[in-house]
Amino acid sequence: MPAASLRGIDLVKTYGDGTARRAALRDVNIDLFPGQLVLLMGPSGSGKSTLLAVLSGLLEPDSGRVLADDDGQLRDVWQLSPKEREEYRRRNTGFIFQGYNLFPALTARQQLEIVLKWGSGVGSGTARRRADEMLDRLGLEPNKHKKPAQLSGGEKQRVAIGRALAKDPGFLFADEPTSALDWENGRKVIELLRDAAHERGASILVVSHDHRILPFVDVHYHLEDGRLERRPLPA
Amino acid sequence: MSYALQTLWHEKARYASGVLAVAFSAVLIALQCGLLLGLFKITSIPIDNTRADVWVGATAVPSVDLGKPIPGGYLSRVDGRPGVVSVEPYIASFANFTKPTGGTELCYVLGSLLDDNTAGAAGVLSREQREALAMPFAVVVDESDLGRLALDKDADGVPKINGKRVHLVGTVKGLKSLAAPWVFCSLHTARQLLGPMLPPDHVTYLLARCDSPARAREAVAELREQYGSDMVAYTAEEFSFQSRWYWLTRTKAGLAIGYAAFLGLLVGLVITAQTLYSATAASAKEFAILLALGIPRWRISLMVLAQSFWVGVIGIGFALPVCLGLRALGAQFAIDVDLRWEVLAGTAVITVGMALVAGTLALRSVRQIEPMSLLR
Repeated sequence: MPAASLRGIDLVKTYGDGTARRAALRDVNIDLFPGQLVLLMGPSGSGKSTLLAVLSGLLEPDSGRVLADDDGQLRDVWQLSPKEREEYRRRNTGFIFQGYNLFPALTARQQLEIVLKWGSGVGSGTARRRADEMLDRLGLEPNKHKKPAQLSGGEKQRVAIGRALAKDPGFLFADEPTSALDWENGRKVIELLRDAAHERGASILVVSHDHRILPFVDVHYHLEDGRLERRPLPA
Repeated sequence: MSYALQTLWHEKARYASGVLAVAFSAVLIALQCGLLLGLFKITSIPIDNTRADVWVGATAVPSVDLGKPIPGGYLSRVDGRPGVVSVEPYIASFANFTKPTGGTELCYVLGSLLDDNTAGAAGVLSREQREALAMPFAVVVDESDLGRLALDKDADGVPKINGKRVHLVGTVKGLKSLAAPWVFCSLHTARQLLGPMLPPDHVTYLLARCDSPARAREAVAELREQYGSDMVAYTAEEFSFQSRWYWLTRTKAGLAIGYAAFLGLLVGLVITAQTLYSATAASAKEFAILLALGIPRWRISLMVLAQSFWVGVIGIGFALPVCLGLRALGAQFAIDVDLRWEVLAGTAVITVGMALVAGTLALRSVRQIEPMSLLR
């Protein structure tokens, strides 16, 4: 088995003070491996999004470490300076959220181009070519000149996936990516994420309430009251 | 098309108030400046309506109506220079005008040679008027000043300048006055009217005609170098500008207009900043995901500044036809709005600069964007 590409070690995160103090993460340990689609489930308020934010370098834990493979080197994400962490995210991470958060004025192709040009620093021609390749792969070729208002919910989420994958990140974090979609579109989205993990070797962490996606994932974690537990997959 | 411009076009309604605020500021600034320049053109009428290429006067003369006597003998300093076609004396001085109905008014006497091709005779004077002005104490005034000088009424009294009776032999159009009506007359009449106020063998200016504008500039440079200690030389364009600028700054009118324009600019700034702030805040989630993806905040700030730049440019685009329309409207009422290219270019620079400042103020909304806001 390959080495873990992302390790969360003894992660602790609490919110509030005094009697209102609430532990979102209690000594959480988690390993993500390349090529795996990992599902994180749990009741509302259990700390799922907090764990995703801590692992992705968006939210600093109270204690614990996040070791991430950055160009073949394991680095503690929370020991980096804010600027280094921003660069780390630029090189390594992609995000998908429940709200698609696409720019209303831009076409599907431009949503991807903007990330490639501003994030990866590639030229306009290369950005366009890579955006088109990604949209083709996601079955969005006919829609590349359409703006979000002209796309269905499923198509919008696929554009958001394309935007997250455009720079070929090692880690992809998805927060409730299917919750705004019907199952037909939700299934397509989770299949795309699974393919991205298996074909590109990315480590993908999906936070979801949707039990229907269980058959598609490689690992299933359950988080409740800040404690993480690995659960078996359905046979 | 840039992402910023594309966003602006897509969300026209959202940005409309900012664009209108910029356009409002631009119209206000351009019209205020244009009106002021149009008004102060009056101060340089004696220069702009003669055919002289070079004006020579007493040192440190700040404006054409504040000339001091210089020896007529200075004429030889100018005459005969390469490119100088002719040189002639010119007399210009304030005087006391007694109205035929009684009461007095300050006037400005302008005495020149009246032959064909002379430099000093106002271009609007007809040949007949110039011939009539050859009579002693004959004068011509602008028709807009007839009422002010009470020359449009039958009265028992007679008009006088510095106590000497004068005869009105005609009127001209378009040579309006500001502080004191212009009174056009011959060199001889001017000398008689001014009497001891103008020492013998002295004049107020020497006017030269040159065979090209380049020659005029050369002659002016040479005269300044050789005689800068006791006389001053200007090209007509320089002296015209200096006369207007002097009165513009001296009267504090520029300050008053500048203050009004500044208030307009401030209103535009606040509205534009608020528009850009709201628009950026409305796109906070889209920008937040870019931040989550590691795109530096300065790229997003740059996009907001680009949007503010385009808001400025589009606002100017709306303001320009409005300004030209209002200038045409003003012309219908004999109001001169001088929208020269410097005024329009200056307005464009100031208002686009204002839009960029508004964009900079709106950047605080970019600073508030946090990727964590995307996680519920």
